Amino acid sequence: MFSNSKAERWLGLFCVAFALVLIFVWIPHDVETGAFQKVRRRLTIGDSLAPMVAGVVILLGGVLTYLSPSENAKTLDRKAILWVCLVVLSVAVSITIMRWFGPLVTELLTDQTYRSLRATAPWKYVGYVSGGGALVYLLIGVATRSWSLKYLLIGLLAALCMALFYDLPFEDLQLPPNGDV
Amino acid sequence: MGIWDHVLLGFQAVFLGTEAFSIFGLPISVTVLMVLGGFLLGIAVGATPGLAGPMAMAIALPILISIFGFSSDAFLPVLGFLVGIMKGATVGGAVPAILFNTPGTPDAYMTTLDGWPMSKKGEAKKALRVAHFSSASGDTFSDIVLILCAPFLAVLVETYLDLPEKTGLLLLSLAFIASVIGNSVGKGLISMGLGLLAAMVATGEDFYPRLTMGIPSLNEGFPIASAILGVLIIGEVFRRLEDMRYGGVQKQGQAVASASASSRLGWAGLRPLLPYIGRSAVIGTAIGALPGIGSTLAATLGYSTGSTRHEKTKAPDAPSFGEGAPEGIAATEAANSSVSGANLIPVLSLGIPGNAAAVFLILAMDTIGGFNPGPSVFRLSGDGVNTEMVLAFGLFTTMFLANGLNWTIGGLFMRVVGVMARIPNHLLLPIVFLMTLTAIYVQETSLAAIWITLGFGVLGYLMRKLDISPLPFVIAFILSGKLEDTARQAFAATGADPFFLFKSPVALAFVVLTVVVVVANLRKSSK
Repeated sequence: MFSNSKAERWLGLFCVAFALVLIFVWIPHDVETGAFQKVRRRLTIGDSLAPMVAGVVILLGGVLTYLSPSENAKTLDRKAILWVCLVVLSVAVSITIMRWFGPLVTELLTDQTYRSLRATAPWKYVGYVSGGGALVYLLIGVATRSWSLKYLLIGLLAALCMALFYDLPFEDLQLPPNGDV
Repeated sequence: MGIWDHVLLGFQAVFLGTEAFSIFGLPISVTVLMVLGGFLLGIAVGATPGLAGPMAMAIALPILISIFGFSSDAFLPVLGFLVGIMKGATVGGAVPAILFNTPGTPDAYMTTLDGWPMSKKGEAKKALRVAHFSSASGDTFSDIVLILCAPFLAVLVETYLDLPEKTGLLLLSLAFIASVIGNSVGKGLISMGLGLLAAMVATGEDFYPRLTMGIPSLNEGFPIASAILGVLIIGEVFRRLEDMRYGGVQKQGQAVASASASSRLGWAGLRPLLPYIGRSAVIGTAIGALPGIGSTLAATLGYSTGSTRHEKTKAPDAPSFGEGAPEGIAATEAANSSVSGANLIPVLSLGIPGNAAAVFLILAMDTIGGFNPGPSVFRLSGDGVNTEMVLAFGLFTTMFLANGLNWTIGGLFMRVVGVMARIPNHLLLPIVFLMTLTAIYVQETSLAAIWITLGFGVLGYLMRKLDISPLPFVIAFILSGKLEDTARQAFAATGADPFFLFKSPVALAFVVLTVVVVVANLRKSSK
């Protein structure tokens, strides 16, 4: 476990390292023109200059954070990293359900493709309501550590209301994942 | 056409624009309806702890764009709705602060100090009336200052600032925001640098999309809605859900106090509040006009200034600040409400957003197109009509319309929405999360945008955990393109002079001020 000021110094060092990699590795390899370039014999600002300025700002911020660390600053602990992983995993699972559950259901229950049914109720809601419901349920679950069936119903109901809210009045709007399939 | 012709056209655009319906032959325009809808929604959102005005603006924007499209006819209804939310949320934030000791918005925290004790004494309705009167007064004052200042500031900028000076001014604004927000100048600069960098992905003048690392889905750059909503909204939802996981779920809306008969607030009750409202309105307006300093600081300063005066002038038996003094509510609410109008001074005159709400107004202007906030808005073009100026005065009209609604029905609606504070956050936040992702998908129609939003959400969460304010990131993201374009043009216009920022006295002054702002804040934070 770091002291707060030590963690601040690590943050400063990380930003300095990131800025140096940005300025000396990333920008030279991933931007076609330099900081300045000649176009029709006229010197103009190239595409590299602005990212370099951004890199210098991050570098300066990193140096200042390293040199004047705060004792009272918050730090990033293992719990926070675990929490991020948990939330990202929950969202990833939900989006996967959202993307694939509709096609799976249409595959099982009809002889048409999901693409041909993606503008037809109820098929067009299947992916969104299932994935959206799962998202709300999982987030409530990880936040409260409680996996009540009531929360699943709340999630599904919320997703259904939102689907109807977006879809009924606005014909040209597409709910996820219908624009991607 | 002169200024007054533009004012009149702006007024007409609001009241005589596309008709929604008519009452006894009197046409009610879509814009008027949208301002009303936004205002009522804003009060409800402000009264809901866990939600905030910018959150509602963020979710509403893609829906509004889907309804009204990208034509110039969309400008006033969309901006009117957002302005309504912005103003309504400030008023609504006081409701749970007074009734439940829970600030609906961060800037209403100081309202709890006197609002809750008044509620406990059975004076909840009176406290709400004080909050409403003070908030509406501060808001109106701030709007008047906006209308008087923004055009003149814009004309000054247009008259005296050329491209190098405008580049210097943008640098100064960014440095000011990075230095003032948060507790650390270094972290402010990191946030700003990351915002600049993120906005530069896949942009530039060359055919090759820069900084994409060869990833095809980044060839169009990061969608602005994904970046801003991700860092501001999703990151905040992650953090609050984490607080619940490790800190427990708090019950909302406990212990409503009953109102006593002494809820009336006549002239005799209002008159002692006026000095507090006046001072706080000036403080809030001055703070609101500076980019980056939010309404929370205005509320704190207004409260502490009011407290000093109150201790000197109060009757011996009158409650002190913190013990249920109506003057405390007045000082806080007038200060935080007067920020909202003044915040638009840098937006409209310079194109620089000062806070999260202004970010979404600029985002709306940017998405709809046809209106480029900045000096060109207030430029008279001979006999012709400057459409941007008409829209600007239309926007001012919507602000006054929202004020009028605040004075007339705001207080009544405020007293009705107390029930919103009972919505539990552990159910509300995941639904807000889903709503945000849906709003982004509706606009971008791509799951890649959702993944990008999630990525920015993680960034926003990490920034909060490390005590790095996300606001410099967002403002830098918005201003990055403008800064680069202005610098390119200034460089070309000065004959490729690499020292163009140091040749004109005004540009040089801006550069020197940039350094001074950073150094001064650095010294302040190291003490």
